[in-house]
Amino acid sequence: MPALPLPPMAKIGIDRKWRAIGLAPSLLVFAGLTLLPIANLVAMSFHDIAWADGISRWTFVGFRHYQALPEDMLLRAGLGNTIFFAVVSTLTQMLLAFVLALFVSRIHRGRVLYRTLFILPILVPAIVIGAIWKLMLNYDFGLVNDFIGLFGAAPRDWLGERALALWSVIVVDVWHWTPFCFLLLLAGFESLPQDVYEAARVDGVGPLSELRYITLPLMLPTIAVTLGFRLILAFKVFDEIYLLTGGGPGTATEVLSFTVYRRFFTQDRAGYGAAMSLFAMTLVAVLAITAMTAARRRQTRS
Amino acid sequence: MTVRTTRRSALKAIAAIGAAPLGFHIGTARGQAARQQPFTIIINQSPWFNGFRAVVERYQRESGNSVTLDVVSFAESLEKQRNSVRARQGVSDLLIMNGLFYQEFYHGGFVQPIHDIDPAFRLDPQMLTLADTVFWNEQTKTHDPRTGKLMSVPISGLIPVLYYRADLYQEKNLQVPDTFEQLLANARALNSPRVYGMVQRGARGLTEVSFDWFPYFNGFGGSIFRNEDQGDFTVTINSPEGKAALDFYLQLAREAGHPQTGGQGQAQVIQNIVTGRAAQAMIVIAAWAQMEDPQRSAVVGKINVARVPHAAGHRPGPPLGHWLGGIPKNVPRERQVAALAFLNWFQQRNSQVAYLEGGAPPVRQDVLADPQLGAQPRNRWMRALADSSEFVRRMWTIPEGAQMVSVLDLRLNQAVIGEMTSAAALNTIADEIHAIVRTAGYRTGKLPNL
Repeated sequence: MPALPLPPMAKIGIDRKWRAIGLAPSLLVFAGLTLLPIANLVAMSFHDIAWADGISRWTFVGFRHYQALPEDMLLRAGLGNTIFFAVVSTLTQMLLAFVLALFVSRIHRGRVLYRTLFILPILVPAIVIGAIWKLMLNYDFGLVNDFIGLFGAAPRDWLGERALALWSVIVVDVWHWTPFCFLLLLAGFESLPQDVYEAARVDGVGPLSELRYITLPLMLPTIAVTLGFRLILAFKVFDEIYLLTGGGPGTATEVLSFTVYRRFFTQDRAGYGAAMSLFAMTLVAVLAITAMTAARRRQTRS
Repeated sequence: MTVRTTRRSALKAIAAIGAAPLGFHIGTARGQAARQQPFTIIINQSPWFNGFRAVVERYQRESGNSVTLDVVSFAESLEKQRNSVRARQGVSDLLIMNGLFYQEFYHGGFVQPIHDIDPAFRLDPQMLTLADTVFWNEQTKTHDPRTGKLMSVPISGLIPVLYYRADLYQEKNLQVPDTFEQLLANARALNSPRVYGMVQRGARGLTEVSFDWFPYFNGFGGSIFRNEDQGDFTVTINSPEGKAALDFYLQLAREAGHPQTGGQGQAQVIQNIVTGRAAQAMIVIAAWAQMEDPQRSAVVGKINVARVPHAAGHRPGPPLGHWLGGIPKNVPRERQVAALAFLNWFQQRNSQVAYLEGGAPPVRQDVLADPQLGAQPRNRWMRALADSSEFVRRMWTIPEGAQMVSVLDLRLNQAVIGEMTSAAALNTIADEIHAIVRTAGYRTGKLPNL
């Protein structure tokens, strides 16, 4: 006797059950890999952790580490520099990447060549970038000073002068990360509906109006996502600072991640470093949520 | 002055050499090196690393044992060593610990006393004991050779010496400086648009400007704490001596130094010397190999070295930035034995001569004082090292070194780049170090602000 078909609601219930069972292992792994370390970090942030006789000793200190954060001069300097660095480098990258992506999307000959050339910097490992730029920006033997010397300019210590160091790191970051924005924006350009452009051309719309009234509104979701991603990555900058300036001169290039690294690892203040890490994580999370919410709102309005 | 170092160990060693039971010693070394488990050494890429690699390769050839070198940067070496010793079972069997950080491994109970691995092991009397830092009394928390246990074997006795252009000295008819005033006079005489009179390591790093400033600080009679050996951790860095040292350091940079001293790290200082752009610098002795390497140096045969100068009326005070070989507790016993067999082989005279030939400063007094070896032109640095040994000073004995050096490097760099006055920098350092030692529970206090 053939089985009777299940009523639709019962089928949905079974589907949900199987879906939950199927997803459970992945969720468990996710929880294990993500939530447990964060929970551990939270626990650490309420303790002083010292090592004696080969074992760690945890001493509960309540909110002391969190209370100390506003007084931390390095953290304050790092936060200010990080915001400046993230905003300036991200906006510059977005602007450059937009122009380059627009250019490459409009040409037919040599598109692959240009695309390859523009993404080269992102393929270079950070350690190599650090070495290359450190040599180029060297006061005594660097190419940059040799070049400006051709025009009679005096050499500058691009990484060692307070007024220049953060700007120099921003230049390196722009060189390194513009290809990332370029790739995402180029993908956005290439997926734009061509019939809208054809209709606009039939209506006699000029290139500038086309850019302002068609391309920009259509590209807005891609721009917002790219900006959000890049801003979050810029907030977490570490390798370029570590390799180029070590946070100096003074605190001129101190950034949030580097301060966390110093406190947590170099100085071995795990409890305080954990509190600082959670502060940094919260900041990045707020930034990510704000960026995504703004993008979603804009998209809905469009 | 809290930290006192004499040449006691070395002199005792010289006296004892005739009586040393060398036969037993060498026999033990050969016996232990015979068949051992493969083991791993974690070491940083120092200027003397090539010499160390050369002796490791020689050890492998001679003994047939297998050694893996885990070569990392200076900052990484501290972190990787911490990770290894804190794990249930460590991956690094021999830690090459820096003089600024070994204290945390001793205090933390991570290093196995050598005699717990092999009660018959003897540190060769000719080996330098590097301000007795190889010994550790865990009750008194002091480096007492009489009551402390032998915790490590010296690997590199790095101290800064004055590198100077002997050809330019001759040309300008200058004398090797004994005092800071003479150093400044020489720097002024040598300074020109083409050559810096003196290059200093004024950058902020893990330990850049702080290590560079210590010969001046010590040489003006300064000390970080009032009497560390007696447990008095009153912070005295912002003393008149400290200010005089920092003011002199800044004056030297301003009047005859690199125009961007605040951006110069060890690599840039060495680069300036080997390219002939600088006439003088205080650099660790291990950088010597680069001076005489025609592939790396444009001034081969033109450089000489001397003990660091001092202020009139004070003693020189080259700080000890040395390296010690310690065996962690959390590795299997057979790997501990293998690592100790290597250390035993390493301290033999022949091994130390090979170490020297590979480009690293040896840590045996009889090799350093060997007249034949010292007479070779390429070893002309050995005299300066021997001259310095009785003045060498430890940096500190407490495990909070990583926190303190971070404070020192930042604030001294801020003084160098003009962001702070010397008094403000030293007062801030004093406040911050005071907070570190107070939080750690030491008996402390501080001087009134400058």
